[in-house]
Amino acid sequence: MRRGELQGYVLKRLLYAVLITFGVVTITFILLRLGPTSPADKYLANMSARTQDPAQVAAAIESRYGLDRPLWQQYGSYVANLFRGNWGWSFSTSMPVMSLIKQHWIYSFQLILLSLIFSALLGILIGLYSAVRQYTKLDYLATFFSFIGISVPNFWLGIMLILLFSVQLGWFKTYYDTGLPILSLANLKALVLPVITLGTGMMAGYTRYTRAAVLDNLRMDFVKTARAKGLPESLVIGKHVLRNAILPVITIIMFDLSSVVFGGVYLTEVIFGIPGLGRISFNAIFASDYPVVTTITLIGSLVVLLTNLATDIVYTWFDPRIRYD
Amino acid sequence: MQGNTPRSFKGLRNILFAALLLVLLIVYLTGIFLVKQILAPVNYLYLFVILLILFYGIYPLYKHWRLTRYYWDRVKKHRLALVGLVFIVLLVIVAIFGPLFTADPTEVNFKEKNVPPVGFSNQQSVYNIATDKFVTTEIKWTWQHPLGTDDKGRDMLAMLVSGARVSLQVGLLATLIAIIIGTIMGVTSAYLGGWMDNALMRFTDIMMTFPFFLLLVFIIFIFGPSLAFIILAIGLTGWTGTARLVRSDALSLRTREFVTAAKALGVSDGRIVFRHLIPNVLSPVIVITTLSIPGVILAEASLSFIGLGDPTVTSWGVILQAGQQNLETTWWVAVEPGILLFLTVLAFNFLGDGLRDAFDPRSQS
Repeated sequence: MRRGELQGYVLKRLLYAVLITFGVVTITFILLRLGPTSPADKYLANMSARTQDPAQVAAAIESRYGLDRPLWQQYGSYVANLFRGNWGWSFSTSMPVMSLIKQHWIYSFQLILLSLIFSALLGILIGLYSAVRQYTKLDYLATFFSFIGISVPNFWLGIMLILLFSVQLGWFKTYYDTGLPILSLANLKALVLPVITLGTGMMAGYTRYTRAAVLDNLRMDFVKTARAKGLPESLVIGKHVLRNAILPVITIIMFDLSSVVFGGVYLTEVIFGIPGLGRISFNAIFASDYPVVTTITLIGSLVVLLTNLATDIVYTWFDPRIRYD
Repeated sequence: MQGNTPRSFKGLRNILFAALLLVLLIVYLTGIFLVKQILAPVNYLYLFVILLILFYGIYPLYKHWRLTRYYWDRVKKHRLALVGLVFIVLLVIVAIFGPLFTADPTEVNFKEKNVPPVGFSNQQSVYNIATDKFVTTEIKWTWQHPLGTDDKGRDMLAMLVSGARVSLQVGLLATLIAIIIGTIMGVTSAYLGGWMDNALMRFTDIMMTFPFFLLLVFIIFIFGPSLAFIILAIGLTGWTGTARLVRSDALSLRTREFVTAAKALGVSDGRIVFRHLIPNVLSPVIVITTLSIPGVILAEASLSFIGLGDPTVTSWGVILQAGQQNLETTWWVAVEPGILLFLTVLAFNFLGDGLRDAFDPRSQS
């Protein structure tokens, strides 16, 4: 691909991402306004329950959210506030939502990162082995276990792991210790069960994708050529097959984020009491703290959008065969 | 195949179906009029789906038994798919008729709380006020509660059977809504093309950007948890994958001769979409339906698990969540619904995989 062509493509994708962001923000606005009792009402009720002067609170909220203004102006200020980073006030934790997110995102991030590493490494290895030794007993075993891994509800798996390793064997704490520094061995140990909980389903999926992708590539002519010219099998698999097979797998891993990972992180954090964004949203639900729930939904979408964008762009470097127009 | 069916009979089937729907509607409206509903609103939808499956699913299978046999022979080769099918059929039977035979799942009985399932014993230390000491007592299992009871003395078997009904209702209804929206979106988008296609697909992209579970949590948080609404929310958000798949299939169908021929004969757009395009994308749609039901069942269970489930129904997620609170004393309350959830999801995955292999022309060799 020529340089200019690539730049044009990247620019187009960026513009498109902005468009999608607007769409996402608009849909959350519509949903918030469609709700039977306006979340602002619930919010108001909770606010006034906590302070002495309800009239003052009402005035503050009116001016902040402008609920007396026409709808299009409300929409305008909603969008403007979001882009300015003014994400509202979380009354249940008594701090701006922005600072709340800043304090807690790292817990979700570490969990996702470790689970991705764990599941991608194991999944790709098992999938590769399974494909190379197709129709052997171990292949059947791997296929069977990947079916189980895909089907097991991860929140139930988490509970079973706690029951076995924490309650019965006492190897791990039943609850995540929030006092641990992020970069410490103790923290790593505390994350073992959560990572298995979140990573098992992902790993099973990656095993299946890798197996299918490697099998597709093993049938290709270039593999026959490589074998015919006498390359050792390890080189054929490692250099020719895996390199071609891994790209679609990585793409799927990135695109999987939205469907598999976010739901999983949310539940895993709830079960183990990890104070990440999922847990924050979970707590906010019961306090009717709607700026928090809204913001976390938007952040999730934004992360999906950015990873998809990054995947699309990185792809252009990895695979020169693809042409964009 | 279509041409063999006499027109009058096809009309009769539609009329019969419409008549039964009318009966359902009248019963429902009478319920509103009398203030006291005979069935919960969700059950009307459930009956509607069962009628739909009977008239437009089972009947055509019977009518075209030769084709059915052909596909059945291919599915049969997949052992695990058969196992999955048997499990699902059993589950459906239990979900429909089970509640008639089990105890009331909401009946609280503190005299028989924390009874373990058959074959296990439960040792508990109970604080005795009179002696100011902890006394270890043992609760033995009984045949009266083969799967034990929870911390309020409710029968686990009854709760699980009622949970099976909830899970299947959610799974079938929400998937059906999602599939119908997705199919119509995909086919319309591909057939009309141009700015319509562009607009519909951009909307699909926006919906896909929301993480599925976060969007569900957001919607249920705003609109409140009722079973009907949870079903609607899952259905209205879960159609994106189907829309994309159907669109790509319909795009290649659109240029085929039979569509051009129909157009040349002056057939209307709506008729081409419903008579020519949709029937031809049905086999991938059936596969994707089977494979999305487990995701939907899991979504409902997850919502219930984080406390956003309908508080008036006993779903597997609700039982699991309650079980998690008392993991150290009554482990079976968390273990049992999870096993059922797991087996159900596994069964649908097995069946979906088998159907995909049976319908996929590439696997014919």
